[in-house]
Amino acid sequence: MERDNHQAGQAQGVSFCDPPSESNPPAETLATSLCLLGNHMFPDSVERKEEISTGADKEEPADLHQSDVKPNEQSVDAELLSNQVKKLETEEIETLEELINESTQPTDRDAEDVAMDNDQSDSGEFVVTMLAKAKLEEQGIGVKGRSSPLLEAGIQESPAFISHRDEDVTADSWRQHRKHVFVLSEAGKPIYSRYGSEEALSSTMGVMMALVSFVQSGDNIIRSVYSEEHTVVFLQKGPLVLVCVSSSRQSEDQLRGELLYVYYQIISMLTQASISRIFEHKKNYDLRRLLAGSEKILDGLLNLVDSDPSFLLAAVHCLPLASSLRDSLSQILQKAITPNLVFSILIAKNQLLTIVQEKTVIEDTRLEPADVHLLLNLIGASSAFQAGEIWTPICLPLFNPDCYFYAYISYLDPPECTVCLLLLSTDKEAFYAVAECKRKIEEAMVAQNSLSLIAKAQSYSVSQVGVSDLRHFMYKPFDVPDNYRQLTQFTSPEMEAPYSSDEEKMRLLDLYRYMHSRIHSTSRPLKLIYHVAERETLLAWVTSKFELYTCFSPLVTKACAITAITKLLRWIKKEEDRLFIRYPPKYSTTPNPSKSSRGGKSDQQDTTDNGFLSLL
Amino acid sequence: MPEVSKMKKPDVKVVLLGDMNVGKTSLLHRYTERKFKDTISTVGGAFFLKQWGNYHISIWDTAGREQFHGLGSMYCRGAAAVILTYDVTNWQSLVELEERFLSLTDTSNHDCIYAVVGNKADLTDPKAQMSQDTDAVLEDQTEREEDRTEPQVLSAWPTPPASPASLSGMILHKQVTHEDAMALYGRILRYKGLEEKDSLPADKMCFETSAKTGYNVDTLFETLFDLVLPSILRKRNENKASPTVDLEDCRGGSGKRARSTCC
Ligand SMILES: Nc1nc2c(ncn2[C@@H]2O[C@H](COP(=O)(O)OP(=O)(O)OP(=O)(O)O)[C@@H](O)[C@H]2O)c(=O)[nH]1
Ligand SMILES: [Mg+2]
Repeated sequence: MERDNHQAGQAQGVSFCDPPSESNPPAETLATSLCLLGNHMFPDSVERKEEISTGADKEEPADLHQSDVKPNEQSVDAELLSNQVKKLETEEIETLEELINESTQPTDRDAEDVAMDNDQSDSGEFVVTMLAKAKLEEQGIGVKGRSSPLLEAGIQESPAFISHRDEDVTADSWRQHRKHVFVLSEAGKPIYSRYGSEEALSSTMGVMMALVSFVQSGDNIIRSVYSEEHTVVFLQKGPLVLVCVSSSRQSEDQLRGELLYVYYQIISMLTQASISRIFEHKKNYDLRRLLAGSEKILDGLLNLVDSDPSFLLAAVHCLPLASSLRDSLSQILQKAITPNLVFSILIAKNQLLTIVQEKTVIEDTRLEPADVHLLLNLIGASSAFQAGEIWTPICLPLFNPDCYFYAYISYLDPPECTVCLLLLSTDKEAFYAVAECKRKIEEAMVAQNSLSLIAKAQSYSVSQVGVSDLRHFMYKPFDVPDNYRQLTQFTSPEMEAPYSSDEEKMRLLDLYRYMHSRIHSTSRPLKLIYHVAERETLLAWVTSKFELYTCFSPLVTKACAITAITKLLRWIKKEEDRLFIRYPPKYSTTPNPSKSSRGGKSDQQDTTDNGFLSLL
Repeated sequence: MPEVSKMKKPDVKVVLLGDMNVGKTSLLHRYTERKFKDTISTVGGAFFLKQWGNYHISIWDTAGREQFHGLGSMYCRGAAAVILTYDVTNWQSLVELEERFLSLTDTSNHDCIYAVVGNKADLTDPKAQMSQDTDAVLEDQTEREEDRTEPQVLSAWPTPPASPASLSGMILHKQVTHEDAMALYGRILRYKGLEEKDSLPADKMCFETSAKTGYNVDTLFETLFDLVLPSILRKRNENKASPTVDLEDCRGGSGKRARSTCC
């Protein structure tokens, strides 16, 4: 079996890049500041034409993790793999083994490719110096920069005052963060920085913007910059530019997906329409005025993105629950309705218990996992004072980026505050009516003793699957049977020993992220990867029906792994009703549906800014 | 367990307004939970129900962030009292009250009362550092309950013997004086077209508080609650004439009965 080229790549990582060059001439300010980005270079490879796209108005796909599988390929494979699944169910495991053997071939090719990329990185030149000299060639050919300390420019303008985000942006510790995220406006104004204050970083962000617009002026779009230590990914969405500087070794697509979550979280607070209008109105508007106080929501989101695989999989994790209990909870929600109520969501321990939705308003759509993630993050970040009932506007960017819903958030089990009710209405004035729904729900739950039953619900241990070498897995079905347009979900056991510490959890997630990037590689998507890492063995498999990531103890044989997966799939099938929300009920609350929250340019447009535009 | 009081329809509404970070959530938290703890900037508005004697007072803790600006008038609709909060160490927070928040109160009751509250007095005022709820003192519920009856006495204390500065370590510059606040109160009355002589006097309606030490916090809320009582009584009388609200009352009543039988 081929040995883990990911690990090999990492091991080589240090050697295949240019040593810091001391002999470079002192760079201009632009060049110096750019060094914040590390030694970023454009790898001089075929792939670079994608990185510096020549289409000025190239659009980001709307969905976060679009399948990279090519359609024709998929149809062929779908058949093949559905056969595989069938065979699996009848214990024809050899076929899976065949598949694995097949899959090693592309893996081998990939190993070559990694090496090739490395060579190209070697020969690549840093963008930095060239940019400073304004000599970037039209095709954006890699140009070599120098590795000077990060942020020299930042130091110059670092203000004296200390804000609450008072991390010293000149310190080593600042540079060593695994993943920096910056948001700036097209005019180069800082909007958000994950670490350190935006003010202290304003010159750095100005430089990033200079980089973006410089490349733009040549009708190119800057998409990413690579160095031996960092990947820098740019994402422009409307008047906002998002930049991620990461040493996490995630793929560019994954990092861009994460930036998209950050963008969507901002949209969820302000709406896309009002952000556009603000910047139409005033190009150099300081958006921090409107986002002040929301930094913790963005901080929280980025922490979740790093630690919760829901974001990677673009799927929702629900709490395992006896289907009878889940159904009775759904029915309770279904009965407590009021006009213009569109979603009723019950959450425990930050996981979904059940979700009930309005029929007509969302007839032809489903709630996107990303919108649920944003909601869960908002709840997590704003529930410090849990005794009250919160009523707040919130936009679900994937549902409709231009309109607000009004969210009622209340905990049902004070003072523990683990069970949270979220009711979404399209009517701004509906607080008291919606709060009344909560009373009804509360009453019904008392009558059925639901809270104590919910309290007993917990995530499960992988040991319940009964496969000794299996340590952990993530399983995401593409469609829960009988429920087309169902909310995309995944199931996963607790992370247990040896993945108990935060570091180990993160390490496992990183391995999954690596497997995910391979499966979803744009240039060479894979169906199946058997990956022998140092301390564990992983197997990832994507079919037309599901996506599966498994982690085994290191010495597992391939045959064992295959048997284990067969057992696992059978176990999941058996437990399906408990692991997933299978039949999300609906209610009807709009006798006269306005569809306003869906329609976009409707009467609700006026209120999309919450009145803050009047303050401009 | 959900409180029985939540089944009741609130009799009257009190709204906390003011710029972000002035301490609205902390004030309410100090009053209802008898604690000062870390807060997160409020999103939208948070609704609380407070039992006051036989009455149910709803309190809206609103977000001060500009992002939620337009919602303020909704939260203020029909309010019987509005607490306009600023931070005594931040002049701009007083300016914002006039420029950004006052107009939001246009939807409140015609006889709405206004309080102007300078919070974080502990940062500027030695006497506000000593209070019934000082962090250094035991967080004991009963002890504080007893203390609650004598906030006036406490606020009237002369400079306490213990070095107050030692509590927080420093005294900050007070950017907004009590006189500034009273002047704002006068302008609020004018904005509302009210005669000073017919309204509650400025010295009664301007408070300096500390959510951190508890200084003047009970006084603030309890003074206001007492002042809105007439408004409650009038509303109850109006409600007697309204069949829709009677229905609501019945529902609330039956819910309460159902609950008491199960308990
Ligand atoms: N020293 C001192 N600090 C206070 C006091 N009250 C609040 N703070 C601090 O001020 C900050 C803001 O307090 P919050 O209560 O969240 O402010 P808010 O007015 O609710 O802010 P928004 O919800 O954003 O509108 C917190 O860090 C509190 O700890 C006080 O009386 N004294
Ligand atoms: Mg608050």
